[in-house]
Amino acid sequence: MKTRNIELVVPPRTPHFVGDGFRVHNFIPSAYRMDMKRMDPFIMLDYNSKFHLPPSDKPRGVSVHPHRGFETVTIAYKGKVAHHDSSGGGGVIGEGDVQWMTAASGVLHKEYHEENFSKAGGDFQMVQLWVNLPSKDKMSTPKYQGISNEQISKYYLPDNAGLIEIIAGEFQGQKGAASTFSPVNMMNAKLEKGGQATFSFPSHFSTGVLVIEGSVLVNEVENVPTDHFVLLENEGTDFTIQAIEKAIVLVLSGEPLNEPIAAHGPFVMNSHQEIIQAIDDFNQGKFGYLEE
Amino acid sequence: MDSPFLKYLSQTVHVKQEHLPLLDELISRRQLKKNDVLLTAGQVCKHMFFVEEGLLRLFSTDENGKEHIVQFASENWFMSERGSLYFGTPSEFSIDVLEDSQLVVFDQEFIEKASSISAEFRTYNEYLLQNHIRHLQKRINLLIGASAEQRYIEFINLYADLTLRIPQWMIASYLGITPESLSRVRKGLSRQNFK
Repeated sequence: MKTRNIELVVPPRTPHFVGDGFRVHNFIPSAYRMDMKRMDPFIMLDYNSKFHLPPSDKPRGVSVHPHRGFETVTIAYKGKVAHHDSSGGGGVIGEGDVQWMTAASGVLHKEYHEENFSKAGGDFQMVQLWVNLPSKDKMSTPKYQGISNEQISKYYLPDNAGLIEIIAGEFQGQKGAASTFSPVNMMNAKLEKGGQATFSFPSHFSTGVLVIEGSVLVNEVENVPTDHFVLLENEGTDFTIQAIEKAIVLVLSGEPLNEPIAAHGPFVMNSHQEIIQAIDDFNQGKFGYLEE
Repeated sequence: MDSPFLKYLSQTVHVKQEHLPLLDELISRRQLKKNDVLLTAGQVCKHMFFVEEGLLRLFSTDENGKEHIVQFASENWFMSERGSLYFGTPSEFSIDVLEDSQLVVFDQEFIEKASSISAEFRTYNEYLLQNHIRHLQKRINLLIGASAEQRYIEFINLYADLTLRIPQWMIASYLGITPESLSRVRKGLSRQNFK
């Protein structure tokens, strides 16, 4: 066991709107030293920090758009999101739920604030991650895993220190709810004040944590406030998180795919040629059809 | 030396290496934000733009306030209201910015000077004009006689990645059809091609 040290603490960038409904801070790939190569297999991380939405009759969001070559993972902390895709998948995710969509060979989808939530207004907070697919799985059949909070396995820390919700991967021998194409660990640490958890992942995994609520002490040295991201080194295995005040922290760690990345907007493939093909297939309607 | 415009002059226009710095001195660059306006109908167009990064559109507005999009320009495209620029008459069209953009800006004088410095530039400028006329004739023909589906297929052949960058109503406006018709065309294509 060797300590995995902090490489960098990244403050949230100036937010921008995705569609007209999601006010996000982008961390991956635009933050300094958090490009797709460094964060492999995590290729995009948008964080909608807690934001109060006024009531709106017309649900806001992002209209129909395609994806190919990766998975999108949406984790809801506050508020509700409704979504539909051209493979027939769809649903609503609310507080504590996760939507794990494997776009793979291609889907069209749209995502909006859920109608009743939109009408009432309220706090909205969520994370959207793109997890890259290994080359051999990029053109596999799209699928969708809607994971409600009850389905997410929970590990209760001793001494009422809090709990770990294991979305994917493994914590203390307990497995996560989502199936993945390459080794990915994704979990929410919900810690009581003073509560501490130690995470251990293979040293070569790309690893980081995002502080969603409260503030935490990482490796007993670094005080990290809300909405900040901590990038950990790809060296050493273990790191600790201690809640200075009641906290929620998203923990990410994945094995790099180490494959070439060609990215253009909503398509992430291995070569430029495959990107051209993706644009062509999308224009020809090969991703199916979805009403606006 | 690696600005997209100089790369374009060197690789596409085949301007000689020794002429590149001379042409580079005559241009300026502008960073623009989404929704910025470069030309408003009624003004005389003084500039031509080369898009290094971003997206522009040329459009007219009818008496009911409805916008009709005539042309888009993304990376490595030129954009101007050529009639107004050359003849000095008020423009019937406006140009605005659809995505944050980095543009090379030059005027009619640049075209004349650059043409006297570089024979390759002069030849290419004429090619661009001829190509523009060819494109406009084709577009007129499609607008008069082609089905919505044919127009859409021409559009995606010309501007493949714009379908990902602009809203559907803008594509519909460019094609001279309603957004509902465009939706039907796309649905029809996916029926034929979605396996």
